Amino acid sequence: MRCVRVDGGFADWRDKARTLLHEGVPPALVSWRDELMPADLFAEEALARYAPGSQVTVPRQVLELLERAARFRVAERWALLYRILWRVALGDAAAALPGDPDGSELHLRIKAVGREIHQLHALLRFVPLGGAGLPDYVAWFEPEHEVLDVACGHFAERMGRHSWLIATSRDGVWYDGERFDYRAEAPDEWQTLARTPDPEGQALWLAYYRSTFNPTRVNPQALRQHLPQRLWQQVPEGRLIPALLVQARMGAQRDGQAPEVSVRPGKRIRLRQQD
Amino acid sequence: MQLIDKLSILADAAKYDVSCASSGAPRRGSKGQSGIGSAGPGICHSFTPDGRCVSLLKILLTNFCLYDCQYCVNRRSSDVPRARFSPEEVVALTLDLYRRNCVSGLFLSSGIIRSADYTMEQLVEVARLLREVHEFRGYIHLKTIPDADPALIEQAGQYADRLSVNIELPSDTSLVRLAPEKTVAGIQRAMGTIRYRQQAVEGEARAPAFAPAGQSTQMIVGADDSDDHRILHTSQSLYRRFRLKRVYYSAFSPIPHSPATVPQAAPPLLREHRLYQADFLMRGYGFRAEELLGKPGNLALDIDPKLAWALEHREQFPVDLNRAEPSLIARVPGIGVLSAQRIEQLRRQRKIRYEDLRRLRCALDKAGPFIVTADYRPRQDSSESLRLRQQLAERPAQQMALW
Ligand code: SF4
Repeated sequence: MRCVRVDGGFADWRDKARTLLHEGVPPALVSWRDELMPADLFAEEALARYAPGSQVTVPRQVLELLERAARFRVAERWALLYRILWRVALGDAAAALPGDPDGSELHLRIKAVGREIHQLHALLRFVPLGGAGLPDYVAWFEPEHEVLDVACGHFAERMGRHSWLIATSRDGVWYDGERFDYRAEAPDEWQTLARTPDPEGQALWLAYYRSTFNPTRVNPQALRQHLPQRLWQQVPEGRLIPALLVQARMGAQRDGQAPEVSVRPGKRIRLRQQD
Repeated sequence: MQLIDKLSILADAAKYDVSCASSGAPRRGSKGQSGIGSAGPGICHSFTPDGRCVSLLKILLTNFCLYDCQYCVNRRSSDVPRARFSPEEVVALTLDLYRRNCVSGLFLSSGIIRSADYTMEQLVEVARLLREVHEFRGYIHLKTIPDADPALIEQAGQYADRLSVNIELPSDTSLVRLAPEKTVAGIQRAMGTIRYRQQAVEGEARAPAFAPAGQSTQMIVGADDSDDHRILHTSQSLYRRFRLKRVYYSAFSPIPHSPATVPQAAPPLLREHRLYQADFLMRGYGFRAEELLGKPGNLALDIDPKLAWALEHREQFPVDLNRAEPSLIARVPGIGVLSAQRIEQLRRQRKIRYEDLRRLRCALDKAGPFIVTADYRPRQDSSESLRLRQQLAERPAQQMALW
């Protein structure tokens, strides 16, 4: 049994996997370790870096799939990747396809990573900050998988020359309007800045959220399907949801108007006489 | 009136228009440039407790309206609180919520004030300010006022990603009865103007874009007695004549102080859901309206339209997944276009087996009776469609979860 530790992310794994592949070590004989899967009975070994010259060829596309899937945080994440790499290197291209037992697991992880990137783009909320030496906007977000470094480019497209800072409990990125400063471990001060509260600023958004909801169509299952409950705390409107659900379910309301609107006086409009 | 109060009223007044898509615009971004905003695949920034996506700031410029459309909360005879934004207020709100990453753009509509032209001018002015003064590159959807001057519609299409004119009701007679100030001719003329301008720039790489995310429309379901057969045929003809990107179906939602001309209760949301499924089959799977519903009546509520079609066409099944054309595989209930492609991809490597489908996440309980794989033939192959239908029908408890 070989026990190999990965602590430099995908690039580190790839180097070590190539060495093992080159030495002909089958997947069943490798035990992969990382921060989520600390050492055990076997002593971890330091692997010599893969020596270029002795080529193992794997289609670039497959490597890209593996890189994506490596962002999925789960203990044992590297074993599946090595098994697929091994099979593909031996000519079994099906190993990376969704219909294959290994391939389907690979694609499930890739899909989950994609969903996480999408969720970061969708649910992150910027708070305006500004001031000398501070970014214009800050945001705190806790993605389940390791996606911030690939997901953050989106906000440079969105925010133009504004500067911004995004921090998570692991990593962080500061964009100064021109360049990204990505840190795999976010400094404490970034994390504090990123968590700047903004209760008043959110008032308009919360008012909008309440009004755009049509209580006659309330559907908690559909809501949970699209916005699982664990995500409610990621967004400010999450804390409105329980009350809105109760209100709508009590059936006090037989039309779609928001209660904040129906308490106001109405106004019928008279047509001016046409001449 | 405070801005936040206007927002409450004018978002409430706009929510009956169900479209909130922010996709279909050409990719663009602001990296390293002045201005703000990007467009690309649509993003749902939140979901309301009815499970609907919040992608755009969807508001009316004003809910004052001179018209008296019976199904509409903003009709002039309706006793609702009224408010009006200035174009600058809409611009400031859009930019603020955009920067906070709460929305990906603006969907702006309006009640008719003074005249169709005046109203349209105001909508265009908001889009112009956003695009020209603030260099806003996010998504803009403008509702088009049917009887507005075609020149205004042309301007709108230069700023907006999407334009929409609501067809409102599935039949002309219903429109005459329930929306006395609107005319079918006026609505179709506006759709035609948009289509004509789109055609003019199609294939012209250097022509300025015109509503690049296309045009859409909305039809209210259940405010009149039109059946699904009529609705699907109306949609099909709109798709063909005006190349619409989408027809949205909005189950009629009871409104405060409802007039006697419209129902007091909403149609089942499941009906709306079945219409969306049927519409999707027309747009994405090449089904024709007459295949999905051969005679007047409504779509079945207990089974989805693809399954209904398959049960009516048992002679085409079972389909051998190792041989059939992908387009036929995609017609199997429980197997979508993507899975059909993946099956085709996989079978170039080896024979498709039953287990593969489970891994591809096909709905096997639905697909089972209609497929053949290397190791599987359906036992129910010979069982009658009626029996099968009873087995496959969705139970009421599941129906809610569909939305
Ligand atoms: S024109 Fe008709 S549908 Fe539009 S806001 Fe006025 S009353 Fe409502």
